[in-house]
Amino acid sequence: MPLWLRDHSWRQSDSAVYLSLPVRGLRVTPANIFCTDRYLKVSIPPFLFEAFLYAPIDDTNSTAKIGNGIIFFTLYKKEVAMWDSLTVANANKEELQYLRQKAVLNAHEKAKVETEAKKVTKQQHIKYALEATMKLEEAERKRIEDLKEKELQKVTKELELWKKQQRDAEEQKRVQKEGEPRQEAEQLEKKKEKMSTTRIPNKGISKTRLQPPKGRDSSSMFSEDLKEEQLPAPRSAATIKINFTSRVFPTPLRESRVAEEEEWLRKQAEARRTASADVFDLEDLKEEEKNPDWLKDKGNKLFATGNYLGAVAAYNLALRLNNQLPLLYLNRAACHLQLRNFHKAIEDSSKALELLVPAVAANENARVKAHVRRGTAFCQLELYTEGLQDYEAALRIDGKNKTIEEDAEKIRRLIQGTMQDS
Amino acid sequence: MSAAGLERPQLVAPVQQSLNYTLFDCKWVPRSARILCLGSAARGTGVLQLYELRGGRLALLREIVKPKPIKCGTFGATSLQQRYLATGDFDGNLNIWNLEAPETPVYSVKGHKEIINSIDGVGGLGIGEGAPEIVTGSRDGTVKVWDPRQKDTPVANMEPVQGESKRDCWAVAFGNAYNQEERVVCAGYDNGDIKLFDLKAMSLRWETSIKNGVCSVEFDRKDISMNKLVATSLEGKFHVFDMRTQHPTKGFASVSEKVQKSTIWQVRHLPQNRDVFMTSGGAGSLHLWKYEYPAQRSKKDSEGAEMGVAGSVSLLQNVTLSTQPISSLDWSPDKKGLCVCGAFDQTVRVLIVTKLNKI
Repeated sequence: MPLWLRDHSWRQSDSAVYLSLPVRGLRVTPANIFCTDRYLKVSIPPFLFEAFLYAPIDDTNSTAKIGNGIIFFTLYKKEVAMWDSLTVANANKEELQYLRQKAVLNAHEKAKVETEAKKVTKQQHIKYALEATMKLEEAERKRIEDLKEKELQKVTKELELWKKQQRDAEEQKRVQKEGEPRQEAEQLEKKKEKMSTTRIPNKGISKTRLQPPKGRDSSSMFSEDLKEEQLPAPRSAATIKINFTSRVFPTPLRESRVAEEEEWLRKQAEARRTASADVFDLEDLKEEEKNPDWLKDKGNKLFATGNYLGAVAAYNLALRLNNQLPLLYLNRAACHLQLRNFHKAIEDSSKALELLVPAVAANENARVKAHVRRGTAFCQLELYTEGLQDYEAALRIDGKNKTIEEDAEKIRRLIQGTMQDS
Repeated sequence: MSAAGLERPQLVAPVQQSLNYTLFDCKWVPRSARILCLGSAARGTGVLQLYELRGGRLALLREIVKPKPIKCGTFGATSLQQRYLATGDFDGNLNIWNLEAPETPVYSVKGHKEIINSIDGVGGLGIGEGAPEIVTGSRDGTVKVWDPRQKDTPVANMEPVQGESKRDCWAVAFGNAYNQEERVVCAGYDNGDIKLFDLKAMSLRWETSIKNGVCSVEFDRKDISMNKLVATSLEGKFHVFDMRTQHPTKGFASVSEKVQKSTIWQVRHLPQNRDVFMTSGGAGSLHLWKYEYPAQRSKKDSEGAEMGVAGSVSLLQNVTLSTQPISSLDWSPDKKGLCVCGAFDQTVRVLIVTKLNKI
């Protein structure tokens, strides 16, 4: 139950009510005071004061002064009239409750309206600020545009003027040109007559004849003639051979792409090298010795010099790095033939032929060689029928080779000879 | 924009013309207010159009159609009276046309096996001395110098040695034509090579390689002793070489600038001021530059050989005119600051650069 504050005192005038409410020792803030147009409440828990006002007041303009243990209300009446009492006559509890609720609702609505109004004004202010800035910027832009326009106009005017000058010059030139052929013929005649005389009299004549508005033109025409005579002969034709900075790719060089290109090239080089991972003791080999192509070349050179064992060693190493190159087997077979290791020669030629599949025009040469070498090895081992088979295979691939034909014939005769013998 | 900004040269584009063909080259006709546009029509024929500046627009005077698309052209080797145009086309033909009677060429030769990328002429227009010559650089890797008085065979041929794989030649320029005998040709290739050929000695005088394909080379003046050479490349870079001092091993000194990420298609020096040049870029922009010489143009290195010192380049102004690359650029030799540029958006624009007198 709240403690009612009842020792208030009031007086009134026509337009206002002055209410003073003692609140000894209590701290009062504006939040404790609640006022609508018909209801006034001061709530400082546990103390409570409320008044159902006799007539409506203007609650927005009414004031409350807090100080000295007293709250002094100045309530402005909505209607100018004298009040019989401060509060309405005692109504029952329900009515009072109803009035209280109504008061609260009123207050709420008022608050809402106020916030709405505030929002609206704020938006208006923002809009105004925006418009002002836009106007300023527009003005600036326009200023710049105007300056540019002015430049443009000035420039176009100059252009027109210059064009006019050009056209005038052209006109005069045309007039000159029409009179020119006649003058030229005359001049040439005069030149022929006075072959050894100096140029000055000629020039004088030309000037009077042509009556050019610009002396420059006549002299230029004249000097043009002179120039004709003085132009050097065409150069004697020659060729300069040049080299280009090498570039693998056909596309133009771009700095930003260089890194990608290097990467690609490096990867290609890697792929051409060893694929097998278990190639041991390759660390002490030099860079080039790990390249099968280089080793093949090395082997070829050794074969050419007659160092067959060295060549075999080179091919062996190359094969360790990459055992899918048929040429390596082929060449090693040739070495073995020279070393009279016929079985090994047969093995290697067979391996080469296996790898030289599919049988296309590109590897014809290689296949012929493989067959010939194998055939030779067979014959050396006196397996003449197998040898003949190989030679005939070689002839099927390349029927134009005389040596193979002759050798095949020899073998046939050998076979027939042995058959006859046995 | 500050007041200081307005004091710099402005690039104003008062006139532009939309075309219905791909424009590869545009040139001023000397001693006139006419421009020539060269290009390729959609059906694969070559087009030459002659326009005149009239009252703020370009008026078409003539249109000439040729069987093959035309890539480049020059007036450099013709006299002022004749004003014959030399063109290179997609088929490798070099033709010289009299624009008054363009049905048959005055000179014609199938100079190269592939497209002629670049052409230059010297000895004409009252500039320089010596025989009129035309140089063409082609995709077949050769650079050939032609004399219009000699039919069918070039007077100089710079070709790769036997067995060398060819690189495209993208740019050629004449220089050093200060008397009747001296002449050099500079050629730029797609692998970044720049080679300088001396035509008097018929030898390779200098070569270098920059890290990007070379799109355009130009000497600041053709008719003086070699002073500066600008070479532009892919990836937005260009190099300015000081050509007055050649070191025996290091060659010529240079300074380089990077503009934007896009290719710099052309460089052209202002005919009236050889230290001002304009570059055109792949992003449709034009940049105006000024070269400043160093305090001393040459110094001695540790062995006592003379070495050049490169100066510095400063940007005067830039403007973006188009979204497509501006592939061709030409200053008018008659009016300072007037230039024409052609872009791949099928538009030719006439520009004026103001305040060049104040530089």
